[in-house]
Amino acid sequence: MKITILEQNGNSLRFVLSGVSAPFANAIRRIIMAEVPTMAIDDVMMFENTSAMFDEMITHRLGLVPLTTDLDTYLLPEECDCESEFGCNNCRVSFTLDVKAEAELKMVYSGDLIPENADVSPAVKKIPIVRLANNQRLKLEAYARLGKGLEHAKWQPVSASTYKFMPIVEIDTKKCDGCGDCVKYCPKNVFSIEKLKPVVQNEINCTLCMECIRHCPIEPSPIKISHDKKTFIFYIESTGSMPASKLVKEAVKILERKTQSVIEQYKKVK
Amino acid sequence: MIPVRCFTCGKVIGDKWEAFKKRVSEGEETKKVLDDLSIERYCCRRIFISHVEVMEELLKYVKNSKNTKNMIT
Ligand SMILES: [Zn+2]
Ligand SMILES: [Zn+2]
Repeated sequence: MKITILEQNGNSLRFVLSGVSAPFANAIRRIIMAEVPTMAIDDVMMFENTSAMFDEMITHRLGLVPLTTDLDTYLLPEECDCESEFGCNNCRVSFTLDVKAEAELKMVYSGDLIPENADVSPAVKKIPIVRLANNQRLKLEAYARLGKGLEHAKWQPVSASTYKFMPIVEIDTKKCDGCGDCVKYCPKNVFSIEKLKPVVQNEINCTLCMECIRHCPIEPSPIKISHDKKTFIFYIESTGSMPASKLVKEAVKILERKTQSVIEQYKKVK
Repeated sequence: MIPVRCFTCGKVIGDKWEAFKKRVSEGEETKKVLDDLSIERYCCRRIFISHVEVMEELLKYVKNSKNTKNMIT
């Protein structure tokens, strides 16, 4: 098994995972989406809301704001010792928000949420929550807790978690007449012309769409497209709660824990 | 109000709305603005190009608001 990072900028990560089976790659992809815990606002106490929007709508919008997550300090409520419905300091973070529009129209932003612990704060500060007209006021207290994407999409740490097989594109230069149709029709610019013959320049961009073969005038086409069943190109796009690389690490830890529990159960049966 | 996240993929898009609105109203090409703001997928792009800001209309009817001077309250 080998990991090569292709690209890492801001919240997104592209890497190649080779030497694994498709079910294994898929397990990682699905755990990243559904089982890596993140913080999200779950309970809101409204003190004053004279805005044009209902309490429930504002609460829903607050829930979707991604919060930076610290998995070492906080516990999932179901794993916390407090066992209380409302949570304790180990499984809950509170936020306050108090915005009043005086004379002018005023926008309430996600950045107006003031956290009790600065480690858990809105990852994106400029999300508009509601627009207030003059003399309108929004005052509330919000409680965030850890949760999983399984339960609600607001706890999903990624907006994209995908993989594709590593494409293999080959051209038999002896049979090719160099018409250049494959260069013209490839939507991902996989080919380029060199010395009047097409060459593969961007193999990794190929989506296996076969458009080049469909437009090739030679029958059978000198272009051969296949994929490596043991190599995967992953693309992970975090919402901002954690860096994408951290998500992969956490997902692998969860997968390890799950496998371990299966092994232990199996031993008991035997 | 602009949705906080894309309905389909869950990407946070709310924070990019104000920049989008400003640049498009200044005459920039929509496609270029969306590419610049790194809104890549068409699920997210359609939210931007089809969004209507109803809140602005609603706020005109707030009593004693500066913006309602010329309106019947
Ligand atoms: Zn607790
Ligand atoms: Zn989207």
